[in-house]
Amino acid sequence: MKQDTNRKITVEDLLSLKRAERPPVEFWASFDSELRAKQLAAIVAKRSLWDGLPRIFAAVGRHHLPFGAVAALALTWAGIHYAGGSLDGVHAVSLAPTARAVARVSVPAAPAAQAAGQPALPRVIQVAAPEAAPAPVAAAASRVSEATPAALPEAPARNQFSDVVAVTLADFRATQPELARREIFGSDREFETAVESMRQPAVEPLSRLDPVSDDRRSRLLAGGLPAYASSSPASYASERVRERVSNDRMYESMDPYESSNSRMSLEIRF
Amino acid sequence: MTEAEPAFSICHESAAPIACPRRMNASKALEKTLVASPERKLEADADLVVVRRVQGGDVAAFDQLVAKYRERVVGIVYNMTSNREDAADLAQDAFIKAFQSIHRFQGQASFFTWLYRIAVNSTMSHLRKNRLRSFFSLEGIRGDDPVARDVIEALTDKTGAGRSAFISELQEKLNDAMQKLSINHRTVVTLFEIDGLSHQEIAEVMDCSVGTVRSRLHYAKQLLQAELQPYLRP
Repeated sequence: MKQDTNRKITVEDLLSLKRAERPPVEFWASFDSELRAKQLAAIVAKRSLWDGLPRIFAAVGRHHLPFGAVAALALTWAGIHYAGGSLDGVHAVSLAPTARAVARVSVPAAPAAQAAGQPALPRVIQVAAPEAAPAPVAAAASRVSEATPAALPEAPARNQFSDVVAVTLADFRATQPELARREIFGSDREFETAVESMRQPAVEPLSRLDPVSDDRRSRLLAGGLPAYASSSPASYASERVRERVSNDRMYESMDPYESSNSRMSLEIRF
Repeated sequence: MTEAEPAFSICHESAAPIACPRRMNASKALEKTLVASPERKLEADADLVVVRRVQGGDVAAFDQLVAKYRERVVGIVYNMTSNREDAADLAQDAFIKAFQSIHRFQGQASFFTWLYRIAVNSTMSHLRKNRLRSFFSLEGIRGDDPVARDVIEALTDKTGAGRSAFISELQEKLNDAMQKLSINHRTVVTLFEIDGLSHQEIAEVMDCSVGTVRSRLHYAKQLLQAELQPYLRP
């Protein structure tokens, strides 16, 4: 094969062959028809909902700081609103029957308290409304209202809770009297009386001790006194102490150096 | 048609492209390119007029854009995939995506670059999903291309004996060497050597820096030189 050996062939020259590649004419006819069909299908076809998600995310990404601040404020508001409002809502719902049945009347405090210079606390008296509530509920409400006026402002939540419990218990007793007998549940004051009967009067702790007997006193004092001081040969331990003391006295009575009056003889043995 | 393409979703022109610094840098780079080449500037302005008509409801005006860029888009995709059927499908998908998203095009980049980016990202996504599939097809070489004609005449006998067989063999070798490149390197070679885009335009289309484009191009040429050594004449 005779070739033109003078011409320099580079990679770029070879890639120019790729540039010169062209599909046949009929390819473009089918290409246009297919593209037209796809274009019509794209116009007719309803775009899915998630096709717009990238745009939404892009918008959120551009304004992430304002969105974050608004979201934080919204969460804070929702937390405060629902956390604070939920208790009120539950309280309102749970006390709704009671609120309908109980009317609160505020009267001025006792004139004596005012004269004593104490702050005047409004005294709350709850009066049952018999036409609006069943009788057991009204009775329970009136019993609950016996709380002292001073305790009301100190623990309002506790009083509310006890109100709810008392009303619920009274309602249960009214609807199920056979189950609410004293043998089953007892009285709400029964526990206090039982506990009161079990209580003992306060006494001096030393007076509660039994008087020490002579036998026990002698046994306790045996260790602290010499055996010969003991007047009664009572226990085994005192006998042993007596024996030990007797031996000591015996050794003390002996003169190991055999000393006489003014002379002392010393014997050394090897 | 409806395949998810994160690269396209990220890189396509949105309602507020100023928020993306990379896109802003690319737009500045494109402005430099357009200033450097008045032909591209005129072309971009002409395309923008047609795009405004499409955005105004003249759907038939989009056919002008298709007729203007279909060969170039198909050529890019074909040189990246080396398969005619895949090239046709991907090019059609690129045009459909451009048609569906043309209301988001605001003219800060040229339509040509925007369309190229869609086509290249679609093709790269397709190639990543079908790495192991390689059905090559050969296209006929246009005889009126002077450079291609000179190369063929230099490599074959002047009498023309066995020329068609040699051209087919060379085309297979070229396709094989191109497919041995990575997707990014192949894309850079296709856009620069075959489609004639500048480094700046390639950087905008591929959403990377000009230095990266130059580096990829240099490395890809070294690999191609090694693969096509029997056909080269120093």
